[in-house]
Amino acid sequence: MNYLTLAVNALLARKTRSALTIVGIIIGASIILAVESSSAGMSSGISSQVAKIGANVLTIRAGGAMFSSGSTSTYKLSPQDMPTLEAISHVEKAVPYYSDPVTVTLGGESLSGTLIGIDPSALSHIYSGLSLVEGGFPAASDYTSAAIGDSIAHPTSSTVQLEVNQAVQMKISGATSTNLAFIVKGILSPYGQALFNNIDQDVFISLQAAQLYFKSSYYSGIYIIVDSADNVGTVETAIKAQYGSDVSVMSSGSIASSISSITGSLSIYEEGIAAVSLFVAAIMTANTMFVTVMERTKEIGVLKAIGFRSREVLTMFLAECVLTGLVGGVGATMLGYVLAFVIGGGNSFGSPGEASSGGSTPVFTTGWMLFTLFFPVVISIGAGLYPAWRASRMNPISALKYE
Amino acid sequence: MIHSPESGEPSPARLPKPVQTTELRTAATVSGTAPSIEVADVTKVYSIGHITYPALRNVSLKIERGDFVSITGPSGSGKSTLLNIIGALDRPTSGRVKINGVDLKHLSDDQLARIRNRKVGFIYQSFNLIPRLTVLQNVQMPLMPRKMSQRDREKRSRELLDTVGLGRKLGKHPAQLSGGEQQRVAIARALVTKPGIVIGDEPTGNLDTKTTRQVMDYMSKVNRSGITVVIVTHNPEVSQYTPRIISVRDGAIEKDQVVPKLDLF
Repeated sequence: MNYLTLAVNALLARKTRSALTIVGIIIGASIILAVESSSAGMSSGISSQVAKIGANVLTIRAGGAMFSSGSTSTYKLSPQDMPTLEAISHVEKAVPYYSDPVTVTLGGESLSGTLIGIDPSALSHIYSGLSLVEGGFPAASDYTSAAIGDSIAHPTSSTVQLEVNQAVQMKISGATSTNLAFIVKGILSPYGQALFNNIDQDVFISLQAAQLYFKSSYYSGIYIIVDSADNVGTVETAIKAQYGSDVSVMSSGSIASSISSITGSLSIYEEGIAAVSLFVAAIMTANTMFVTVMERTKEIGVLKAIGFRSREVLTMFLAECVLTGLVGGVGATMLGYVLAFVIGGGNSFGSPGEASSGGSTPVFTTGWMLFTLFFPVVISIGAGLYPAWRASRMNPISALKYE
Repeated sequence: MIHSPESGEPSPARLPKPVQTTELRTAATVSGTAPSIEVADVTKVYSIGHITYPALRNVSLKIERGDFVSITGPSGSGKSTLLNIIGALDRPTSGRVKINGVDLKHLSDDQLARIRNRKVGFIYQSFNLIPRLTVLQNVQMPLMPRKMSQRDREKRSRELLDTVGLGRKLGKHPAQLSGGEQQRVAIARALVTKPGIVIGDEPTGNLDTKTTRQVMDYMSKVNRSGITVVIVTHNPEVSQYTPRIISVRDGAIEKDQVVPKLDLF
């Protein structure tokens, strides 16, 4: 028998009360772990996606701000803009593209994706590490073939898998509702999300094919490849100077920082909730300790009568706090781990018009795990310190008389 | 155990102390035969606001090692107060208390706790066992502040519980025991630290006649093993067990008489 077994005995003697206190601690501390881990996951997710699209690539779209649909300008990008853009210093290349949501029919199933018409040779400059698992990209003058992203070629929902030289049916939604059939020229290897574009759900056709099928000579957007990531800011300024509010310019860096600040403020909000929960749990623990000490007044008197010193009474009660905190910490770590995935799934980002799903896997650092495990112990001791001190200071004679 | 008691009177008078007594006391402390308990001119005054209430008035007494004493008196006479002071649980307002020759006056609360732990065992009318602990755990509690191995603590506790006849009930909780059994656990707990003094505050107050006799037989046994036993009681049957009876009234010692008993065992 030692202070630890005495503490176990004490907590078990008032099971419901101990359980409630521990639950309070678990809720508060687990939210902290969940929030920190899911935002760490988001940040690393964003960084890896920024790395994919290339730090030296700008995206220009017609109309006002990227995120709002109510743009005041009716300007549209067309081949006429190409020379203007390529004339800007530090611009290596301007790559126009068309994009629209598309539904691919495969083995009776309908898969959503995005049809992108773009000069195929430029793709690897824009999306670093993009490669094909079989076949190749359609040639610039090819009107009938397409390169298919991994999720569409190998859908999990259907047993049918696409192969090179196979024909596949598609329907473009949006501006022109057209049924199309393409021959699979190549299948891309799995790539993942590159900010607003989920490559795995894309179908790539040549720029000229897109001009034909979209029945439009207006581009959906233009990628600007800058000679170096350092000059991105200069080029952005130059474009804005040239076009004003007629176009919106996005660099992956600025997208990343916008997303970061949104998720950042989301995190702060979530962290705030977690901090408040933990504070409330601490107050609950303090209250529980006060009630417990009062109930055990006679016991404290007996302990002092048999020769327990003040510090020994204090140690006994603090041991109960430590145990409560430890059990709470273990529970919080487990629950926090699970919650992180739940929050991560909820914090997804995408944009209308493109079939994409955000979400990221949480990143668990040893630091935060240890914090979640042991901070509740600190809180528990802090909350229980004053009641335990009061207990240790009780006058044994009056304590013994307490009923 | 015949010796001359110091008798007090309703209006207490101070008795002069013989000079040799001090020397004897010093020698006695050194040789280990100091009186178990010495109370010299002790007064205890309680104050609530402006009202002061003297619970004990200039009380003096000496209890030698191995004495078996009962303290009797009506309620409110101050006997429990005297007991608490003798047991180092309370401090007098004035006067001296010595346990085994050690003056308690300048000891800190922690040091008094140590004295209680090592020198004194308490038993109470309402037993005061810790309900959530088992019988064995209850008896071990006084040994917690000591540097002892877990095994030694348990061993000593088991032996004592065997002595009081509860060797088979180690795992039970107090609520599962009868009053008499609970008091025997309390006796075992009081003895586990090998104290020289056992103090009982109306230990048979909650027990029926048969169990009272049983417990008092145990207390006699404890006393015969050399331990000083002091019992506060208002039950005349209980005070029959003790050769020395101190009567207290209105905070002072009224009578202190020794009736030697023949050991028939």
